[in-house]
Amino acid sequence: MADSHTRFCGSPEHAMDRRRFLGTMAAGAAAVAADMTVLNVLQEPVLAAELKKQQKRVILLWLAGGASQLETFDPKPGAPTGGPFRAIATSVPGIQISELMPKMAQRMDRTCIIRSLNTKNGDHGGGARLMMRGRMDDPSVRYPDLGAVLARELGRVHSQVPDYVSFYTSTEGRDFAPGAAGFLGSRYGPMELTTSMIPENIHRAAEISDLDHRQRADLRELLSKRFERGRSGSALGGHNEAYQRVRGLMASEKLFDISEEPQKVRDLYGPTQFGEQVLAARRLVEAGVPFVRVGRAWWDSHGQNFETHQELVPELDHVMSTLLDDLAQRGLLDSTLVITLAEFGRTPAINPSLGRDHFASAWSTTLSGCGIAGGSVYGKSDKTGNTVADGEVGAAELFATIYQALGIDPQKNYYVGSRPVPLTDPGTEAIDEVLA
Amino acid sequence: MAAVKSESVKVVKEFSRPGPVFTIEAVPDSRRVIFGGADFQVCELDLAQEKPEPRTWGAHESYVTGLAIAGRYAVSGAYDGHLMWWDLETGKTVRTIPAHKKWIRNVAATRDGKTVVSVADDMVCRLWDAESASLLHELRGHEEQTPNHYPSMLFACAVSPDDQHIATADKVGHIVVWERATGQSVATLEAPGMYTWDPVQRRHSIGGIRALTFSPDGNLLAAGGVGKIGNIDHLDGNARVEVFDWRKKERTHEFPGDKIKGLVEHLAFHPGGDWMLAAGGANDGFLMFFDLNAKSVLVQDKAPVHIHDLVVNSAGDSFIAAGHGKILLYEIKS
Repeated sequence: MADSHTRFCGSPEHAMDRRRFLGTMAAGAAAVAADMTVLNVLQEPVLAAELKKQQKRVILLWLAGGASQLETFDPKPGAPTGGPFRAIATSVPGIQISELMPKMAQRMDRTCIIRSLNTKNGDHGGGARLMMRGRMDDPSVRYPDLGAVLARELGRVHSQVPDYVSFYTSTEGRDFAPGAAGFLGSRYGPMELTTSMIPENIHRAAEISDLDHRQRADLRELLSKRFERGRSGSALGGHNEAYQRVRGLMASEKLFDISEEPQKVRDLYGPTQFGEQVLAARRLVEAGVPFVRVGRAWWDSHGQNFETHQELVPELDHVMSTLLDDLAQRGLLDSTLVITLAEFGRTPAINPSLGRDHFASAWSTTLSGCGIAGGSVYGKSDKTGNTVADGEVGAAELFATIYQALGIDPQKNYYVGSRPVPLTDPGTEAIDEVLA
Repeated sequence: MAAVKSESVKVVKEFSRPGPVFTIEAVPDSRRVIFGGADFQVCELDLAQEKPEPRTWGAHESYVTGLAIAGRYAVSGAYDGHLMWWDLETGKTVRTIPAHKKWIRNVAATRDGKTVVSVADDMVCRLWDAESASLLHELRGHEEQTPNHYPSMLFACAVSPDDQHIATADKVGHIVVWERATGQSVATLEAPGMYTWDPVQRRHSIGGIRALTFSPDGNLLAAGGVGKIGNIDHLDGNARVEVFDWRKKERTHEFPGDKIKGLVEHLAFHPGGDWMLAAGGANDGFLMFFDLNAKSVLVQDKAPVHIHDLVVNSAGDSFIAAGHGKILLYEIKS
């Protein structure tokens, strides 16, 4: 695929998914672009230092089901809609967040809160696709999601690691917004981990020797090159690229293995599944993976909203603050953007089950680290939280801001056939006040 | 025995409130009630008046979730972690004390009016001298975390009719009975069916024992909550009540619910033990009456709103309920 220019052939091969990818890999068919089996990025100081200097990355903490902005980053204490939690001061004078987030309160200088999202879609599926892709569905174009775009933009040509990894273990909501490479092609699709912390079927089959594995790969490459002659198409290219990366991916298994971390680091992240997956995400971005999504489901608190948030928000507070500390200590926070986002927020109104329902009219997201003006709040909801009072932000503006923070032009064009498709809708501008 | 049927339980008066009312208590020898809720306020309503109007006594800094009458005081507890003492006659604040580091979930008092009991999400039950507000005992027997490493909650407490024992119950269904005089645990019971941890679909929990009460003879201890829930986004489980002979540590009754869904928020016995009443709700409210002798459900009906608390009068022919946006006066006709 030419730089910033891809062709969408619409063939089924184009949509090759991870299951097929790994399934085929397990069968032993692989090609070797270079010997990547000695990969040990984490213990290679020169390479690690270079990565730190050059590469930008993103960790998306996906609060699936819709976390309540009132119980996290936009509290309304004392309002009829405010609920029982208090607001607490943060390390930044004038900014308050929920008392459920005391650790993040002490790290507010690293974070920008956007309190004025109005994304107009209160449906789980539609909202999730919108907030993963930055725009509404279009029947004529299969848009890539944020991870796929960033895999394309931030991934390295000869990367030895996956470009897009997604953890989503809970079953609820997993299918609402699966990773989608769209017209970019399967090369930029996610490695999705749903049942295990470590990719399954990543090992070379025991009955195949390493030599046999290489020889099979050579044969496949030979046949593939012969087949390629006189043919064109991004599906074929993506297919071959995927095979060429297999041995690197096979060698990346240890990146997912948090038992490689010192126990004291594991203790910092804590024993929960979310904590362990975020630790794995840190390991991955440290090794050069440009985009990792950690899906924490399920925040859909139609009943007992406050008890649900008593469980989930302290976990988010602990894990997110630990992640920011860890990235900062490793010199990675300036080049790593940490996002909290969901498909929508929750209603200010409290229902008779003491729950809050779906709400997309005035909710919050956070951006921390790379390219972001930490210690700031952009936008404002009204006194009860029912409407945006100032600085309305839609999905497109949010995505433009994310791209800009990472040094990517939001108006950069991709091409689907001859049709130019900008990263964000024409006329969309990044929010300057959010950017460093 | 006073028989209860659906048609004999009627709302005879109702009062609207701006949000949920979580707790209500009746002032002895009067028709006054005190209540508190999501507006943070502690208020009084005198039902003897021709057109009763609520009178605000004062306010906490968060949801008011527990009230008890202790001698000449009313004592309120709230999610702000404070207990407030109020003069029962004047409604004036007597004192405010920081009682717990986390949300106070319920407040009770001994019938002799000398001891106030509070339970909170710090998982401690504290006994307080009703006159001086000095701390008498700290009862620690509930785990701070659930088995899945999330904060637990201590929702319910009750005092035995002879004032000698205190019962407490938490989110995972653990019940402890304590000796009031010594603060020692004398029995533990388990009702795990009232706690749902979803490790697969949604990875959090819901439920817990929300209601506790001793039978008039003090031998039985009833616990209420919600049974196992498939979709924990909602209170979509059957309302559940279990009754224990707490001294023998045996469960004597189980009412798993077959018609009513939602949380049992409050349990109360008829003063003579004729029936036991459970009230609560999900998006709707419900009332259930049980005959413990026959181990049968007498009534299971919808209520106009989700009910959080209620108090039965001494004759057992009336009760007043606090719920989502309403206070409801019920009559029970035999």
